[in-house]
Amino acid sequence: MRQRRFAWSRSPSRSNRLDPLYLDDKIWKAEQQQKRRLSTNIKSFIKSEPAIVLYLTLWSFYIRLWKIWQPGSVVFDEVHFGGFASKYINTGFFMDVHPPLAKMLIALVAKLAGFDGAFDFKEIGLDYEDANVPYVAIRTFCAVLGALTIPMAYLTMKKTGHSTMSGLLVALMICYENGLITNNRLILLDPILLFFTSATTLTWVNFCDKDKNYKPFNLQWYFWLAMTGLNMGLTASCKWVGLFTIATIGLPTIKRLWDIWGNTDISKLKFMHHFFARSLCLIVLPIAVYMAMFVIHFHSLPNTGEGDSFMSPEFQQSLAGSNSHMSDTPLDIAYGSRVWVRHEGTRGGYLHSHPHEYLTGSGQQQITLYPHKDDNNWWIIEKPRNARRRRPDGPGGIEYVRDGDRIRLVHALSSKRLRSHDEQPPLANDEYHKEVSAHNDEDSRNDRESDWIVDIVAHNENDVDSKYRLRAIHSRFRLRHSTQRCALFSHEKKLPEDWGFGQQEVTCMQNSKLPKTIWYIEANQHSRLGKDVEMVNYNHPNFLAKFLELNKIMWDVNKGLTASHPYDSRPQAWPFLQRGISFWGKDGRHIYLLGNPAVFWSSTFAVVGYILVAFLTVLMEKRGIFDLYNESAARFFITGWCAHYFPFYLMSRQLFLHHYMPALYYAVLLFGSMFDLITIWLTSRKKMMLVIMASYCVIYAYRNFIPITYGEPWSQISCENAKWTRTWDFDCVQ
Amino acid sequence: MTSSDPKLRRRRVDPMDAGSSSLTDIGEEKKKGSWRGVPSGPSPIGHRTALAIVTLLGCITTFYKIWHPAEVVFDEVHFGKFAGFYLKRTYFFDVHPPLAKMMLAAAGYLLGYDGHFDFGTIGDNYIENNVPYVGLRMLPATMNVLCIVLIYNIMRESGYTVLTCSLSAAMYLLDNSAVAQNRLIMLDSMLVFYMLSTVYCYIRFRKLRYQEFTRGWWFWLIATGVTMAMTVSVKMVGLFVVTTIGICVLVDLWGLLDIKRGLTMKEFMRHFNARALALIIIPTCVYLFWFYVHFAILDQSGPGDTFMSSAFQETLKNSAIKMKSLDIHYGDEIILHHPGTEVYLHSHTLKYPLRYDDGRISSQGQQVTGVKEADDNCYWRVKATKDISKDKRTPVRHNDIIQLEHVATGTNLLTHDVASPLLATNEEVTTMEQGKRYNETLFKVVLDDHNNGNIWSTHMKSVKLMHVDTKVAIWTRDKVLPEWGLGQQDVNGNKNTQDRSNFWMATEIKGLNATEINMNKKKEIKKMSFIMKFFELQGRMLRHNSGLTKPHPYQSTPITWPFLIRGISYWSKNDTREQIYMTGNVFGWWLSIGGVAVYAGVMLADTLARRRGVEPIDEPLRNRFISSAGLFLILWLTHYIPFFAMGRSLFLHHYLPAATCNYLLLGAVFQFMFIDGIDSPVSPLEGTTNTKYRRFHPLMMVATLSKYSYLAAFLILLGQLGMFLFLSPLTYGTPGMTVQQVLQHKILSTWDLQFAK
Repeated sequence: MRQRRFAWSRSPSRSNRLDPLYLDDKIWKAEQQQKRRLSTNIKSFIKSEPAIVLYLTLWSFYIRLWKIWQPGSVVFDEVHFGGFASKYINTGFFMDVHPPLAKMLIALVAKLAGFDGAFDFKEIGLDYEDANVPYVAIRTFCAVLGALTIPMAYLTMKKTGHSTMSGLLVALMICYENGLITNNRLILLDPILLFFTSATTLTWVNFCDKDKNYKPFNLQWYFWLAMTGLNMGLTASCKWVGLFTIATIGLPTIKRLWDIWGNTDISKLKFMHHFFARSLCLIVLPIAVYMAMFVIHFHSLPNTGEGDSFMSPEFQQSLAGSNSHMSDTPLDIAYGSRVWVRHEGTRGGYLHSHPHEYLTGSGQQQITLYPHKDDNNWWIIEKPRNARRRRPDGPGGIEYVRDGDRIRLVHALSSKRLRSHDEQPPLANDEYHKEVSAHNDEDSRNDRESDWIVDIVAHNENDVDSKYRLRAIHSRFRLRHSTQRCALFSHEKKLPEDWGFGQQEVTCMQNSKLPKTIWYIEANQHSRLGKDVEMVNYNHPNFLAKFLELNKIMWDVNKGLTASHPYDSRPQAWPFLQRGISFWGKDGRHIYLLGNPAVFWSSTFAVVGYILVAFLTVLMEKRGIFDLYNESAARFFITGWCAHYFPFYLMSRQLFLHHYMPALYYAVLLFGSMFDLITIWLTSRKKMMLVIMASYCVIYAYRNFIPITYGEPWSQISCENAKWTRTWDFDCVQ
Repeated sequence: MTSSDPKLRRRRVDPMDAGSSSLTDIGEEKKKGSWRGVPSGPSPIGHRTALAIVTLLGCITTFYKIWHPAEVVFDEVHFGKFAGFYLKRTYFFDVHPPLAKMMLAAAGYLLGYDGHFDFGTIGDNYIENNVPYVGLRMLPATMNVLCIVLIYNIMRESGYTVLTCSLSAAMYLLDNSAVAQNRLIMLDSMLVFYMLSTVYCYIRFRKLRYQEFTRGWWFWLIATGVTMAMTVSVKMVGLFVVTTIGICVLVDLWGLLDIKRGLTMKEFMRHFNARALALIIIPTCVYLFWFYVHFAILDQSGPGDTFMSSAFQETLKNSAIKMKSLDIHYGDEIILHHPGTEVYLHSHTLKYPLRYDDGRISSQGQQVTGVKEADDNCYWRVKATKDISKDKRTPVRHNDIIQLEHVATGTNLLTHDVASPLLATNEEVTTMEQGKRYNETLFKVVLDDHNNGNIWSTHMKSVKLMHVDTKVAIWTRDKVLPEWGLGQQDVNGNKNTQDRSNFWMATEIKGLNATEINMNKKKEIKKMSFIMKFFELQGRMLRHNSGLTKPHPYQSTPITWPFLIRGISYWSKNDTREQIYMTGNVFGWWLSIGGVAVYAGVMLADTLARRRGVEPIDEPLRNRFISSAGLFLILWLTHYIPFFAMGRSLFLHHYLPAATCNYLLLGAVFQFMFIDGIDSPVSPLEGTTNTKYRRFHPLMMVATLSKYSYLAAFLILLGQLGMFLFLSPLTYGTPGMTVQQVLQHKILSTWDLQFAK
């Protein structure tokens, strides 16, 4: 018998809990009413909403496009992004850490403007006008996209129920933000990224507006949801920073679904509808857009180019005119075969030797990895003299190389054998690395140090034979040294340029992990094999394989960008605008990316203010004082700011001030929201006065930094005077 | 709650039947006998017997052949050596705080060991070197047994049944990693011991939450703080348990703040202050105390000198640096050394080429480079720019403006706004004939450590040479110039003046023999305040720790740890084919990570269901599952997740505290899955000091064991025991194994055991 004493009491708070959604709605309505009353007076001043948007757009065009032709030479990262445009036009494959959309748009505009791709944007300061580059058209395109964020910011503020005054203030702050101006009027990815980020924000607040009253699934609802998804996809296709925008949308989406799930009036079926509609539009659609961009990318770059060496041989095989294009090679490998042995773990290329000696260790002939086709890559597989004989098992009396066989590799041109011995390799200085060299000892019979054991570790699933004996491309193997318990290994360390020609180091490593000790045979010749033997080549990768490979390499390269740059900075410096970036300097004129301090500092202040107010609200609620402050729009903006700011702390790659720009956008929106909060008690006239005063401060700060924003001439004294903090290091030398 | 399925609620007694009206009065409850104080459930005798049995078994697994191997194993290299340094009182440097090492040293002291052995490499023989290693190992091993006792008691105090408590403790005592690691001369068993003590104290404290500010309440609160500090004093990993306690206290305070709880702000602040005192101030003092002892013991110069600042080194007896250091005066010819890249500042008659390969143009001035070996071209004369008295030698001070003359060529060091040869963003450094371009040859002497005496001296004060005109610092980095620069190292003017690598050290003054001069001049041992010493050591420990990025063949990534993808070879002996391979009990580890998954799944399902108004789990069960098992989960998470963010090289043994916490969680999940109900409540309401708590109603329940509970526990323990015995040759390092046996013991193909071929 089971016995249990158990008491339980009903929680008293549950029954009188108000439906939060109902409450939200009521507050929202009350707020709306108040705001509407405030704004009626102002509306009589400036006619209608579309007119305001138009004025703002035109004005921001003027601010962004002023002297767009200046400077007439390559500025900062135009080196890269202008360069990519010419690479698209030349259709040669290249590798970059950013997804392709923004670069393709720049290339498209360049092409339409008549750029022929001959100019290579090699370094900062090269002259455009001499080279006849339509740089004004490209910059105009970027600047226009950048300028369009201003009306969108205004509309976002209006749609989230803020006053016209705060909308205008936000728009002006973004319009007069020197950093955004500098960054947006050059050939860079940031204006395009920022355009899509703000478009995502705008479409999302429109969707929220439709979704607010639980009247979902109509056409408008679906339209805004799908547009949000589309814009998210486009944002992420410009730069991976777009993933932060996705997070900004994703977090409120999860919150909303959580609310819907908790609303027992909504049936589970309807919840599923909500869930799948959002999954489709906000997950599937962006992924599809992102992948579509890569389809276009691959389609635009069908030819071999300088990005080849980043990619796997399979990938290179899919590019036309590739110099690493492989013709078919015989499948079977036997003793006496001449082979190219390729390293799988790195993109270093082929096992290589040349008639030059190490300047370290044994001083014997070098072994390296060499990425190009070369006669010095040929090795001949030989049997050690004292190895056990087997009966020939192939056609024409040849003997196949089997798993576990002891072999020797003889360098075809110098007839020296690949060997390893207890010497320190040139670069790797751990005791578990041993030198590998090519050498011919007179007493070759007992030269156990040049014996290697073949361990096949992976094979092609469709070719069972390749598991038991060595076959070209299909068999992946390690070469284990017979006496030293080490395996032939290579890593991405380059030998010194002066005696090692910058080629990759090869060592023999003890206790090595798998990936960097795996090799395979790419090309193969045998004198006794006829023409009719089975041939093999790399598989032709499909789109998905190429897409995944490229993205993985982009990720790896991006992570590897850790070299320090004189103007890089860490995230903690950004909100306070501690330092800018020198973009360009010539003949006493300079462009220096520096934000508008009034905008930076006030928006940071708004963030801190919001956090304090929100914390206070939660604390007060805990003590029984409810509804101090609950503004869903401000919560969304702070989410956007956090999502675009804090992830940078986790990145160890080099970071720059311009990485803060999307976060700044959200911070300024939040400033508008906070402005409405603190001016809620003011009359519209006083509010307008306040906006005018604030705008005056912003414009004053903007005018102060016009010379370094647009590259205008500046006197040394006013330049020195403009250094408001000691950490701003723009150049005042004339 | 209105629409819940009657089946789901069958186990809940209807509140009306249980007499909910009388629940408001605890006194009445007690009279009826339907509410019992702590401990509910089985008698203490059952617990005592079970505890005695697991302790005994723990002694067996821990002390089994503790004298084997009689050789240095893995990190005994470090910690044995450190204990020796304490006994010799010579200063050493280590990234871990001192407590556990001092405990080992104390053990050595009691055993009469004098620290003569250097624990040089793995495999050195102890018996030949006359080291009382068995005694030293006894200390960590005893701590391990105490860990078992603590695990049992943590589970017991959390209100689990005898079966569950025994299961958790037995899982731990049969864990190969705990046995292998904790009986060797290392820090981990102390760490786990203090970590578990902290948890135990905190649980005892939590259980007294209705008797606030009583003597017992204060005792356990302060005990939590002290044990927490002890944990951190063993290893910085102890901060993870601090995080756990921090999270729990914040949640607790948040609950106290709730208006429904009925505390006034004054009462709340009293709670807040009590916790701040016991969990912040007292632990800080305890932590500092061990460093005080550390400095008090280590008062002689030793191998750790070079890790510390020169001011610190001067406080040690027989410090070598004091013998080498000389003050620098105007007119002295000095050599400047760059510590980061190990080069000397150098110049020679060769000029920069007019045009570089990339088309940029130089000033064609004399080259200034860095060389690995100092020669006559490395002497620089320090020249004053202000009036100095001719008869007296004037020392060079912090913030003085100087010129540096290259002695061999008679030219002055200069830098200007011309791009340096390799780095276009930095300034070119060259030299200029006397009298020309005076303003550009001025440098400001910025001493790193100018608060302790502002005179520039060799070997003591590193210096940054700030160019007065263009605000750059003379700098060098690991890049060599091409052929025209003879492959010497690139030197340039760095615009990033805050970089640590801008500092140079003067190493020699021409014609002066430092040792001779210092022999004649008797220098006394300087004093340095304890707090300064502490901050310096702490800062260097942290910096050094994050600098431990050198790859090690047995390092691994955190994600592989719970699945035991790879172990660590601690020791091996070729003659006998014996080896110690550190690896967890595969059965137990996989089962416990499964426990985490079950916990997460149950909680997720419950949260989702509650959101739809369905309550599938009984209130007392759920309460326990959240508060007790939740604590264990947070413990596990805080001891595991932070490793993902660490850049240094990591090893499987870093997971051991987390694995221990995981066994606690496994016990809680076992109780939830296989035992019907829970003994509730565990926190007594009687004797409450606060009348407001009388309104609270305890959630009452009794655990019922079925034969399935015993069967499940039996099967789990059988699996654990089987795996433990199977892996024991790798854990105890005996007996030796043949190739065949070694291959058999490779449970995963990724394990790299010795002698597998």
